[in-house]
Amino acid sequence: MLCGALAFVGLQGANAQEKIFRAAGTPHQPKVEVSWNRYYTYEGVVDIMQKIAKAYPNLAKVESIGKSYEGRDIMLITVSDFATGNPDRKPAMYIDGNIHSNEIQGTEMALYTAWYLTESFKDVEFIKELLKEKTFYIVPTINPDARNNYMNEPNTASSPRSGMIVLDNDGDGEAGEDRFDDLDGDNHITMMIRKDPNGRFIKDPNDPRRLVPVAPGQKGEYEMLGQEGIDNDGDGYVNEDGIGYYDPNRDWGWKWQPDYIQRGAYKYPFSLPENRAVMEFVMKHPNIAGGQSYHNSGGMLLRGPGAEEDLATYNRDDVRIYDALGRKGEELIPGYRYLVVYKDLYSVFGGELDWFYGGRGIYTFSNELWTSYLMYNENKGRDAQYDFDKDLLFGDAFVPFKSYNHPQFGEIEIGGFKKNFGRAHPGFLLESDAHRNMAFTIYHAYHTPRLSVQSVEEKDLGGGLKEITAIIENDRLMPTHSSQDLKYKIERPDYVSISGVKVVTGMIVENEDFNRVSEQKNNPEKMQVANIPGNSIVKVRWIVSGNAKYSITVDSAKGGLATWSK
Amino acid sequence: MKKIYLTCWLALFALVCLPAVLMGQDYPTNAQITQRLKALKSKYPNLTDLKSLTKTTGGKDIWVLRLGKGDADNKSAIAVVGGVEGFHLLGVEMSLRFAESVLANNADVLDEATFYIFPNMSPDAYEQYFAALKYERRGNATPTDDDRDGSVNEDGFDDLNKDGVITLMRVKDATGPYIMHEADERIMIMANKDKGEAGQYLVTSEGVDQDKDGHFNEDGEGGVAFNKSFSYQFPYFTPGSGEFPVSQVEQRAMLDFMYERFNIHTIFTFGPGNNLSSPWKYNAQGARVRVVTSVLSDDAKLNALLSEQYNKTISQKNAPSNPGTDGDFLQWAYFHFGKLSLGTPGWWVPTVKEAEGEKANADKNEEVNFLRWATQEGINDVFVPWTAVQHPDFPGKTVEVGGIKPFVKYNPPFAMIDGAAAEHNAYLVSLAKMLPSLEWIDIKQESLGNGLTRVTAKLRNKGQLPTHTEMGKRSRWLRKVRVDMMLNDKQSFIAGQGMTLIDAIEGNGFVEMSWVVRGAGKVNLKGGAAHTGFATAELTIK
Repeated sequence: MLCGALAFVGLQGANAQEKIFRAAGTPHQPKVEVSWNRYYTYEGVVDIMQKIAKAYPNLAKVESIGKSYEGRDIMLITVSDFATGNPDRKPAMYIDGNIHSNEIQGTEMALYTAWYLTESFKDVEFIKELLKEKTFYIVPTINPDARNNYMNEPNTASSPRSGMIVLDNDGDGEAGEDRFDDLDGDNHITMMIRKDPNGRFIKDPNDPRRLVPVAPGQKGEYEMLGQEGIDNDGDGYVNEDGIGYYDPNRDWGWKWQPDYIQRGAYKYPFSLPENRAVMEFVMKHPNIAGGQSYHNSGGMLLRGPGAEEDLATYNRDDVRIYDALGRKGEELIPGYRYLVVYKDLYSVFGGELDWFYGGRGIYTFSNELWTSYLMYNENKGRDAQYDFDKDLLFGDAFVPFKSYNHPQFGEIEIGGFKKNFGRAHPGFLLESDAHRNMAFTIYHAYHTPRLSVQSVEEKDLGGGLKEITAIIENDRLMPTHSSQDLKYKIERPDYVSISGVKVVTGMIVENEDFNRVSEQKNNPEKMQVANIPGNSIVKVRWIVSGNAKYSITVDSAKGGLATWSK
Repeated sequence: MKKIYLTCWLALFALVCLPAVLMGQDYPTNAQITQRLKALKSKYPNLTDLKSLTKTTGGKDIWVLRLGKGDADNKSAIAVVGGVEGFHLLGVEMSLRFAESVLANNADVLDEATFYIFPNMSPDAYEQYFAALKYERRGNATPTDDDRDGSVNEDGFDDLNKDGVITLMRVKDATGPYIMHEADERIMIMANKDKGEAGQYLVTSEGVDQDKDGHFNEDGEGGVAFNKSFSYQFPYFTPGSGEFPVSQVEQRAMLDFMYERFNIHTIFTFGPGNNLSSPWKYNAQGARVRVVTSVLSDDAKLNALLSEQYNKTISQKNAPSNPGTDGDFLQWAYFHFGKLSLGTPGWWVPTVKEAEGEKANADKNEEVNFLRWATQEGINDVFVPWTAVQHPDFPGKTVEVGGIKPFVKYNPPFAMIDGAAAEHNAYLVSLAKMLPSLEWIDIKQESLGNGLTRVTAKLRNKGQLPTHTEMGKRSRWLRKVRVDMMLNDKQSFIAGQGMTLIDAIEGNGFVEMSWVVRGAGKVNLKGGAAHTGFATAELTIK
């Protein structure tokens, strides 16, 4: 069995040598072949995850963290060097995608990250070191039900957005009674227009795909009737009560507000099973020090606060760290800007990134993937999509207007951009942006705290007493506790312990030169350190008696473990 | 008229005695609560539905008892909630007595209204009253790290004087901030430095500093407090709040149940929060902002009216002010759920005058007042006299244990409940009679010629309460009033629609509807929502 496997790999190697030349930065001869220029349904995503875990059992494992509303497993892939330390004790980066079901490509970006890390471990020294020190928890889709609905059922580029719970959106006592209708049967919900002598639009004479408003005083030819559908419940409105509506990104437990304040909120924080599964995982994994969620679109690297009312939560020390990460992101991902949700986007209460940061003290970004900038590598505005569709996609993104006999509107035309365009990346641009966004998360992960016992000094105090001073270093950007964490003591303190000697007392040295120390009277063998700041040190001192050998352990929830022995 | 009614009703209550076995002489244990609920279920099988929504971390049932007739889930309903605080035994008993009383004496109210009784929302904490070591507990059985130091439940109370209750501990210490109260030296108060008073005692709860962190009993058993962990003004990262709002299984089970019952119009809470003795105050600034912090103006007026009626029904006066506290249930029910939310403790310690020879209680100290009231009522055994103990944390110092016993300030002796219970039962019944209830009136038809008829009708709310609070109009968890005009297949609308949604109808208010219909024959009208009940009417167009 083993021989057979080796022989197979050998053969593949020979073929590859003949036919394939290595491109810099891309895994060569990957064990798991994946095309990164297309999208995967939930089943496709799980299949790739399982293939990765099977190919790299020492680097990846797949598990379910809970069930979706419709009963699908929410699948997580953990990536780390399992041979070096317990992955659940290493500083970790959490990544998810697809919280909004129509914002699909976050899933592929997250999945690309798992694939790239495992396939590059062997050849890329940086990745090898990274996976020794860090863990990646990756949940490619946290909305699997509605991901499949978006792909398999008729939708617009913006629906369903919620999950598959169907609510009563118009307050009439019935839920989901007036949904989209795919009148032309093409699995895309596009626009309905109608010839109307009083209409205010005409078809652009140079481009019949475009409806343009006429100038004041001019006569138009068309009126817009909205998205494809009929008035199914006879209340005089079309498509007013479909799947949802609620917003899974208004369901998280930091400064949550009810629906009348924050449209889209459901019953209470984590009232959606998918988010509850993520919350439970995060609560059980205090080693998560960085967070990333993927949305679309607009080319943004977003941090909180989601709402102006929560401005005070993001204090200066933490904003400095966000700024350092965000600006690096702008450099790594052309066309993306580092922005603040409440100020630059819109107001969000109960968003995921705010809970990760406000509720757990985890530095977290939401990337709004895809920007029209990427069509021509310059900002040409939204109208450029017509040219892009024509010249680069050769019309594949558009359903040409065709006439249709509507039961309520009579003779109409149906057409418009397909659901897979406008928000999702066109295939040929997907891999490139996935790699860049991944690089941003790797930078983020790299800068989670890294702790070591930099040095240990001894001083004989006479009378059988000895002073031991350990310098604990954190040589990365992030502290073991964000300021938000320190403010509320969200995570326990770091412990710096000494064993093997009899400890008389212990203290944290605040100022070496003037011997300003703070003593810990109780249990000085296990010193409690509130925080080990980024790119900085903490000095811990013990007065001990005896001359035995000893060892020192640093134990931090978000900073991991470090040991030193004499 | 009202007074006469009330008197009759009280007399009736006295006649209908509940079996003594079930009633007991003290507040019921969780097992006895279950027994009483099951007894109601078996005695009134057609009027009740009993369900355990979930079990708490401590393995206790969360019961909901529905009182209703017929299509009960589509009648305007009041949820009655007890045990929002584990130490408020009275609220549990009041909610049970209400259920028992409605079924025995006022079942006719169920023709129009439904009640959902949640007798005890803190059964884990409630159990502490019956435990070997008694203390006023708020939190459930979920383990929590109250002082957030990385250890769980490492420093709880210690019964230093072995009397089975946790009281206070005072240490004679010149650095302590406490002194004895002038009017009653048993009561310890903070020295007022502004008046030149110097502290003489340290005062803390009874126990030792188990984890030697300088704090006493700061992280004992007692996890998340039901009444401190809802989403309205959630007190983040404080003891008892949990890690985020609505984190506990009993809260979620209750809310899921209520979110599915669109017929719930009003939520009535027996707990510390009180907007009945005095109504919530309107604050224009707080009502105007996006994240609302004040009762809205129409609702403030409604609250004032209901409060006035409450004070007419309830004989006790001078309730201590408590509009609610951060993360509580009472405010959540209004501010986040949008329902009419009313709350009262059901009983409080009356303010008493000093007896002869006693010093005046000049600063109206509640504890001094409590002890005086207890003495006047002949209630003994409410105070543990200060007694010296040896304390490991204070070697060489005088340490005494003593103070008011747990529970007694909020829960009167069981034998004293009857009056308050009867009055609250009467108030709740009167409230149910005020619930919105719809009727069609002034149904008219007017021929427009050529087979066209204009139909007009008024949908009237004959209840005193509006169909929607002002807040409820904003909430997606109250449906709109839906009007259906159902034609036969030979008729059609010339004007108007088959279905119309109306935001709200005032108490004793109405909306006028109008349609123009082509074709003759019978038409049917239906109007309402689950929380108002439905009104139907029929008309034959000539």
